[in-house]
Amino acid sequence: MTRVALRSIRSHLGRFVMSIVAVLLGVAFVSGTFALRTMMAGTFDDIVATSAQADVYVRGTEIASQTGGGSMGVGGNRTLVPLALADELAQVDGVSAVTPDVTGPIILVGSDGTAVLAAGGAPSFGLGYDPQDPTTTIAAGRAPTSPGEIALETSTLEASGLAIGDPTQVLLGGALTDVTVVGEVHFDAAIAGAIFVMLDLQTATQAWAADGLVPDIGVFAADGTDTDRLLADVQAVAGGDTEAISGADLRAETTAQIREMLGFVGTFLLVFAGIALFVGAFIIANTFQMTVRQRQREFAMLRAVGASPSQVFGSILVQALVVGVVGAAGGIAAGVGLVAVLRMVLGSFGMELSGAIPLDGFTVGVSIAIGALVSLVAAAIPARHAALTPPVEAMREEDVRHEGGAARWSGALGAVLTVGGAAAVVLAATDRLGDGNELGLAAGAIAALIGVLLLAPALVPGGLGALAWPAAATMRPLGGLARGNVTRNPRRTASTAGALMIGMALVGAAAVIASSTQASVRSVVETESTSDYLLRSATYDVPSGAVDAVAALDDVDQVLTVEVAMLAVDGSVHDVVGVDRALFERALDVPVVSGDLAALDRGEAVARVSAAEENDWQVGDRIALEGSTGSQTVTLGAIVDTQAIDTTLMVPQGVLDELSSPAEQTINTAFVMLTDGADAATARDDLTAAVQPFLIVSVMDNDEFADALSAQVDQVLVILYALLGLSVVIAVLGIVNTLALSIAERTREIGLLRAVGLGRLQLASVVTIESVLTSVFGTLLGVGLGVGLASALPSVYADSGFTDLVIPWAQLGTFVGLAVVVGVLAAIWPAVRAARMDVLDAVSYE
Amino acid sequence: MRALAADPSTDAQIASARGLVKIYGTGAAQVRALDGIDVDIARGELTAVMGPSGSGKSTLMHCMAGLDTATAGRILVDGEDIGAANERRLTKLRRNRIGFVFQAFNLIPTLTAAENITLPLDIARRPVDQDWFDAVVDAVGLRDRLAHRPAELSGGQQQRVACARALVSRPAVVFADEPTGNLDSRSAAEVLSFLRRSVDELGQSVVMVTHDPTAASYAHRVLFLADGRLVAEVEHPTPDTVLDVLRDLSGPARGAHTSAPTAARTAEPVR
Repeated sequence: MTRVALRSIRSHLGRFVMSIVAVLLGVAFVSGTFALRTMMAGTFDDIVATSAQADVYVRGTEIASQTGGGSMGVGGNRTLVPLALADELAQVDGVSAVTPDVTGPIILVGSDGTAVLAAGGAPSFGLGYDPQDPTTTIAAGRAPTSPGEIALETSTLEASGLAIGDPTQVLLGGALTDVTVVGEVHFDAAIAGAIFVMLDLQTATQAWAADGLVPDIGVFAADGTDTDRLLADVQAVAGGDTEAISGADLRAETTAQIREMLGFVGTFLLVFAGIALFVGAFIIANTFQMTVRQRQREFAMLRAVGASPSQVFGSILVQALVVGVVGAAGGIAAGVGLVAVLRMVLGSFGMELSGAIPLDGFTVGVSIAIGALVSLVAAAIPARHAALTPPVEAMREEDVRHEGGAARWSGALGAVLTVGGAAAVVLAATDRLGDGNELGLAAGAIAALIGVLLLAPALVPGGLGALAWPAAATMRPLGGLARGNVTRNPRRTASTAGALMIGMALVGAAAVIASSTQASVRSVVETESTSDYLLRSATYDVPSGAVDAVAALDDVDQVLTVEVAMLAVDGSVHDVVGVDRALFERALDVPVVSGDLAALDRGEAVARVSAAEENDWQVGDRIALEGSTGSQTVTLGAIVDTQAIDTTLMVPQGVLDELSSPAEQTINTAFVMLTDGADAATARDDLTAAVQPFLIVSVMDNDEFADALSAQVDQVLVILYALLGLSVVIAVLGIVNTLALSIAERTREIGLLRAVGLGRLQLASVVTIESVLTSVFGTLLGVGLGVGLASALPSVYADSGFTDLVIPWAQLGTFVGLAVVVGVLAAIWPAVRAARMDVLDAVSYE
Repeated sequence: MRALAADPSTDAQIASARGLVKIYGTGAAQVRALDGIDVDIARGELTAVMGPSGSGKSTLMHCMAGLDTATAGRILVDGEDIGAANERRLTKLRRNRIGFVFQAFNLIPTLTAAENITLPLDIARRPVDQDWFDAVVDAVGLRDRLAHRPAELSGGQQQRVACARALVSRPAVVFADEPTGNLDSRSAAEVLSFLRRSVDELGQSVVMVTHDPTAASYAHRVLFLADGRLVAEVEHPTPDTVLDVLRDLSGPARGAHTSAPTAARTAEPVR
């Protein structure tokens, strides 16, 4: 029987191509995800290994138990250590070198006069060049030795277009400084696109450790020194306010944090791999159903000569196994190709990932197993059908339909899930679930999605009947024929449309969320911002020099900044904003819920309503704040309802300065108030001229500010549309497959239609209408579901600035239009195939 | 035998073939399904085509109906040379001038009986002549079944719907391929008498391929094929005269085929 099964695959390879492609696509995503994750992890491991090569590190104690967030496991949520400690550590026995980590933000001006910005949001780092540090080597030129000199990392040098000896500028500590490139520095590791600028240690210390504090100090052991002993000695010298950790432990800790972060990215990608495989399973099931049908007589003959049902069943499963394994093998290759392309794309943006594309036994094993398993599960039902059909029935020409009780049960279950899911979403939307609101929303959404998938077959006759009405009425008899074809097997039509439905539900929801977010942002800016102009930076950190330059202009009355730093608030790390009371008096019109904004003048804090509710804060409560340079307990003086400043807590600028070092603070936005009677247009020209040297700073009015915020949302949408593209490709495959299947089943019917005079073009039109109906049906269900669920979001997330619900009808209309295009595209091949069918073959087919 | 018309395009013939050859396959697998056939189908008659399995009777019908293309020879249908026609013209010819009744699977399962009947007109985007539609429907006795789907009709009713569909577009000629092959004798008699009446009362020309001598006896004239050639014909047949000719045509080896036509059909190789 196995031989019969394998021969059959070999002689009917064409039939199985679609199944193989389906498995291939799904597996490609799985293996590609694994490979990408391994590659990224490898790249970061390299970075960690080369950037943390010291044997022992001394770092501050933890100020909050929050994990993640902190890059490289140092700084962020720990206190700083005194730079002076470095000299003491150098005296410890067995220490060969001590390298304090003097680092901070810097902007490099490239050869074209614009800022050198890292791709993909990778940061720009300034480092103090320490000759003792064994991890960096001078590749060309020499080390920077004076404030006017810098050295650049190899790929940074390349990206900047500068050469050794070139004069340029850097933006350091908010001011532009003229410098000369004197050297090229080489790091051992890939640096994932980040920009590295090396300063001499003294200049760097002035810029980023002026208060004598650094995030950590690396200690290198002399040859033959026992690390454990060194660790104990270092800890003894460093004292109780600091923590000594071995290099190996730090690297392990950092690697674990990165793994966790990448794990999230991987999960996201795997969800899409899952969708691809889910849809792939439909395609495989359909294909096997088709081949089983076409070979019914063959099976009947095998049964007649003595094959048992289980042998027939087994032979089909063997074929499924071959399809699964072949598809998975192709999928692994395709996945590697996908990652290679991705690496090339990232590389062209300057974000280099290290090493070969990893393909370990685990990835190969999991991919093959998934491919085989999906194929086997998908083929099991058609195989069972083929095995259990009595030989005589199979010999007969007429198709026997089996619509069992299972359909009713799944329909009922679907209805229950849909209603239950919708109810959960409504309850969450109307805030009846308290803390369970978000959980209710998520669970409700998933339940509703599965419910609609199960319910879809029941919706096919009515829904498609209505959808097909215009076609049936205007294109007699083609529309009617097409309607009959898509409604005669509701389950199949529903599962075909399901592929598109899932993708469209995601995209529909994303579209609503995006446009609602944009509208919310706009309304916040319009209702709250009363300033004349705003300054924003491409690096989200407006240089203080730019702020000073603008403040010095004649037509500028006042510049008010919003500075952000990470602080521990009652033990967990949050963004804390430093403001002056004048900000609320002049630049922002913020409704006060309780307390008084004058509290800021008294050194008290202000909280947003959402944060106050979340933390159960009342005006008058005491809140413990701890930063890298100090700790303080502040009184909550006011609660405000603002969306403009997205933060947990606002404190007076002075308080923020006490708790964090200037290197840790970023100026998110500066609000510019003009003097009375100043001409707005002239002032704008003046502002633009003033910030021009700072390259990364842009001047915006409120409208442009809203536009800029909206543009950020659009960037996120691009990713979603890429995923939409993926789901469309899979959906097209599914529709092509189903059409091919139903055309194969309708061979005689098509022959009859052609015999009584249906032209080839008319036949192709029928197939195309079927295809369009299916894809529009799936799209409408998906978009409807997505929009419905997304509509509940504003009420759940109103506190997070999600205030306005906007349904982008034009965009949704475009999706439906896209569905028509998808339908037409998917119909091309099956329509041509149907039209080419020989009339006589079709009529005398037995 | 009737003499062949000197000019086949005259009005007396609804369809005719001259030197018709059809070859399937190549080399050792080559089969001459039609081996030089000359035939005239008279206008306003029910003509039956008989012959043992593999005699070429179905191939003859398929070629004359424009469903298949002949290897050589000339075919005229209603004065039109269909040997020279491309697929587009053949489609138009089938749509407007020819009606079909097949052995099985005559109806589109998703359409009602009435929709199935008017299907050729709908495809051609021609208006339905309501009086003629009523006349045809009444003639096949399906007035009360018009709203039913094929699955809700008996085999005999389905074939009668197919006959009505073949007639509703007033084709020049109706080709019926074993129209009673799947029916019990009572339903078969209903369908056959309707086909005969359509000729006698409505002036339709009908060509019917059949295995069944009783079915053939409804015809005005029966043509006999063997090995791709026209070998005999019977005017005004009765079941007995048809059986006599069949016995003469087939040697003892062929007897099983002609006496048990149904078994012979299912023994044909699967295509």
